[in-house]
Amino acid sequence: MKSLRRFFARLANLATRRAQDDRLREEIEGHIALQTAENLRAGLSPVEARRQAMLKFGGVEAMKQDYRAKRGLPFVENFVQDVRFALRSLRRTPGLTAFVVITLALGIGMTSATFSMVDALIFRPYPVPHPSGVVTLVSTTHDSPFDDFSYREYLDIRDKTKSYDGVIANADMEAVGFSAEPGTTPRIKGGMMVSGNYFHALGVEPRLGRGFREDEDQVPGRNPVVVLGPDFWRHEFASDPSVLGKTILLNGTKFTVIGVAPDTFPGMLTFGYPDLYVPLAMAPVFTTNLQKNFFEDRDDRELSVKARLKPGTTLEQARNELAVLAKNFEREYPNSNRSRGAAVYTQFQARTIEDQNWKFGVVFVILALAVLLVACTNVAGLLLSRARARAREIAVRLALGAGRFRLIRLLLTESIVLATLGGLAGIAIGYGVVEWFHSKQSIVFATELPMAIPFHMDKRVLLACLALSALSALLCGLAPALQSTRVDLVNALKSADVEVPGRKRLWGRNMLVVAQVSMSLMLLTASFLMARGFQRALMEDTGFTKDHLLMTRFDPRLIQYNAAQTQQFYKLLAERMRETPGVQSEALTQNIPLGVDDFDGVAFVPDGFQMPPDRANFNSAMDTIDEGYFETMGIPILRGRAFLASDTADAPRVAIVNEHFAKHYWPAGDAVGKHIRLDRSAGTPVEIVGVAQTIKYQNMESPMDFVYMPMAQHPVARMVLMLRSGGDPLQLVQPVKDVVRSLDPNLPMLQTRPYQDFYLNQAVRGPRIAIDLVGSMGLVGLLLAVAGLYGLVAYNVSRRTREIGIRIALGAASSDVLRLVIGKGLVLVGFGTVIGLAMGFALEQLMNSMLFDSGGVDILAYIVVVPTLLVVTMLAAYVPARRALRIAPTQALRYE
Amino acid sequence: MVLKTLDVLGSLHGYGIARRIEQISGDLLAVNQGTLYPVLLKLEQEGAIASDWGASENNRRARFYRLTKEGRKLLQAETQDWQQTAAIIGRFFEVKAEDLS
Repeated sequence: MKSLRRFFARLANLATRRAQDDRLREEIEGHIALQTAENLRAGLSPVEARRQAMLKFGGVEAMKQDYRAKRGLPFVENFVQDVRFALRSLRRTPGLTAFVVITLALGIGMTSATFSMVDALIFRPYPVPHPSGVVTLVSTTHDSPFDDFSYREYLDIRDKTKSYDGVIANADMEAVGFSAEPGTTPRIKGGMMVSGNYFHALGVEPRLGRGFREDEDQVPGRNPVVVLGPDFWRHEFASDPSVLGKTILLNGTKFTVIGVAPDTFPGMLTFGYPDLYVPLAMAPVFTTNLQKNFFEDRDDRELSVKARLKPGTTLEQARNELAVLAKNFEREYPNSNRSRGAAVYTQFQARTIEDQNWKFGVVFVILALAVLLVACTNVAGLLLSRARARAREIAVRLALGAGRFRLIRLLLTESIVLATLGGLAGIAIGYGVVEWFHSKQSIVFATELPMAIPFHMDKRVLLACLALSALSALLCGLAPALQSTRVDLVNALKSADVEVPGRKRLWGRNMLVVAQVSMSLMLLTASFLMARGFQRALMEDTGFTKDHLLMTRFDPRLIQYNAAQTQQFYKLLAERMRETPGVQSEALTQNIPLGVDDFDGVAFVPDGFQMPPDRANFNSAMDTIDEGYFETMGIPILRGRAFLASDTADAPRVAIVNEHFAKHYWPAGDAVGKHIRLDRSAGTPVEIVGVAQTIKYQNMESPMDFVYMPMAQHPVARMVLMLRSGGDPLQLVQPVKDVVRSLDPNLPMLQTRPYQDFYLNQAVRGPRIAIDLVGSMGLVGLLLAVAGLYGLVAYNVSRRTREIGIRIALGAASSDVLRLVIGKGLVLVGFGTVIGLAMGFALEQLMNSMLFDSGGVDILAYIVVVPTLLVVTMLAAYVPARRALRIAPTQALRYE
Repeated sequence: MVLKTLDVLGSLHGYGIARRIEQISGDLLAVNQGTLYPVLLKLEQEGAIASDWGASENNRRARFYRLTKEGRKLLQAETQDWQQTAAIIGRFFEVKAEDLS
């Protein structure tokens, strides 16, 4: 307590140093004057009186020193002094300083921007109180370690587990038709169904009104209440607090607003920010799946389940409990739960297992760190040469009795100042890069749902930035500081430019060159590989035609169509479109290929296929389409037939599979005419009537199984209309509008645009962003490395000017000297190349295992990079050597 | 000692304190007077004493130190401490060999 008080008093004294000095001087003078007066009274002569007084007082300077040391905080004072000194000396060499700062800024900026990616994708805690207690519960199968639960399963988990303070469930964020007033055309908003205890269990207090009550989530359809998201409230209701109690329309049903979520809770999703929350019990208004009953079917798995661990309960206990429950499910409900387990994941596990994109983030961070390392070696090299040029100054300081530690601190302060400046500029660059990401937002998310790139330069990232700056200050400052204070004083003072070519010292600098070369080589290899991986994904044939297609999406649920009305609408729409002039062909499909939404899955058992004993069924992605789909999309039917108008709801059920599927399950025979059974071996038989060519479905994945079902036999609510035109697809927009208006003027048309546009945005520009990012990192790395390499080698050679002079004086031919210095440089580059290649290969292995098969070594990369580095090194050695050779030996010997 | 001096004499400037300490110790304790100032500074930072400018006997500006409430408390504690220590040490000196047997 006392020492703390002293600390603050000392801290305060830092500010008033000068006034305090005056005060002390005055006090001392007063003291001595008094003593002198006393001595005078005692009868001494004035001179003697003063002398005695001074004697009695003791050493004034020593005491002043002591006083000062006690008064302020010498450590801080010295630091301030050092910083001032550093700023002064840096200002003397503005060019060098600017270069160093920019170099570091690039490294730090890139690293922090990429770190913000990884942070958002993996580490950032949930925006709720005590986020670490929130775990994710998932259903697991052979095919997926991350499956959802059905409503019934959720209820069982909620009621039969004891490890949690609240088990919550939510469905995916879905498009919801919102109108503030009856009679207005609905607009699409992102709505999320959540369990009644959602806000309460998460510990989220609404900023207005209240969260759901549990009884509002008990009876299907009874309580139409809605909680608004903070942004939605701000934009749609202008932050009006009187919104509570107001009635709004969601998918045509009246809902009462009961609360507004706080700004601190933008939702639990990584990318999405729900506009509205509604209770699960209101599922009849929102459900997408017309085939299943949300409240009853145990295999209608649409819910993500999270829970808050009870304090004192371990993850292990929770896992065991859930495992037992999953076993019970298997026994009690073999039809829906055979060979299905369950798992409890922490936040980290859940995020890394659910979405693999973080791996790109990690590779980006590794690359950015490599850039930073190159930057640091650059700066270290520069500081080293600077420190050497200052050797005399340092020697003088040492000779005058400055402690070595004090000098090291001085020099380190310099690099800290540099790194801080670099860090600040790096934050600016980081902001720039993150902003650039944000500007690409609409490209990445081609959807009307509220999605955003969650990368921010927030407190956590800034902190990382700071740590990076400190680290780089140490990295690039410590070695030069240690080395330059280890000076032979006598030599240093004698000559202006000491060159005691200690083996160690050269070794240090050579190390820098080698590190430089190898890091940049690795960086370039990696960015080449990544860029090429994305590029190749782009070049790959998708397997269908993309041009001359107009797409537009319909969602009849938005205006409360029932299943029959929906079917009728699509039937009429398809018929009218086929009759419209300019339309060559028409297709309806649940999902477009390479679209935003995931395809539905289908569980099936192929007839005549020996099932493994531990599996009840297989899974495949599927799409629901109409008769015109294959023709319109230009996907060839290899065997059998396409769907026909005769495949009605009453006709025997049929399906078309892709070639990959056919080969997979009937490697020997023809798949056409075979049957698959839905869900289980006793399920509904479906005849395979055709085999379609395998295309790219979700993204540029490797070939996968795929099943098509006819719309009439497998109705879905949301469909996309695709129209093939002879000319500009946009000319079809008006005719489509006319047809839709004649069918129902209230039905909104969503995302009406040429498919090619959509495809370019979605599938091409997204990867382009990654290519740009990786490419620019590689380029920056190479530029930095080249600059650094040139600087280091040139410096090394110019240090040897005198030595070269001696060699020439002793009769060496200039070609010998050139060979000597250039050869030396080449040896170093050779070492660097070997190490760099090794690291590049290692990184490539890592990338291949993590991301995609980039297809082995990129010879081109090495053909470009290695010679570049060699040429730079040779030039860097040649130019100063040339200069040294041109100087007359006598002059060289006197040089400096 | 500084605290006690201030306690007895009230507000006093540095020279006065130094003189007083010399007098009381009967000039046995003649350290460099200068060393007093760092001590005063430390005490002031700890809040045991406070200081103001005032006029000294020969009408110079001088800094007068006085005891604060906290200083008084500190003095009390220190006095007690010292007395205890002195008592203990004193007892050791009084002890004779036969007392221990």
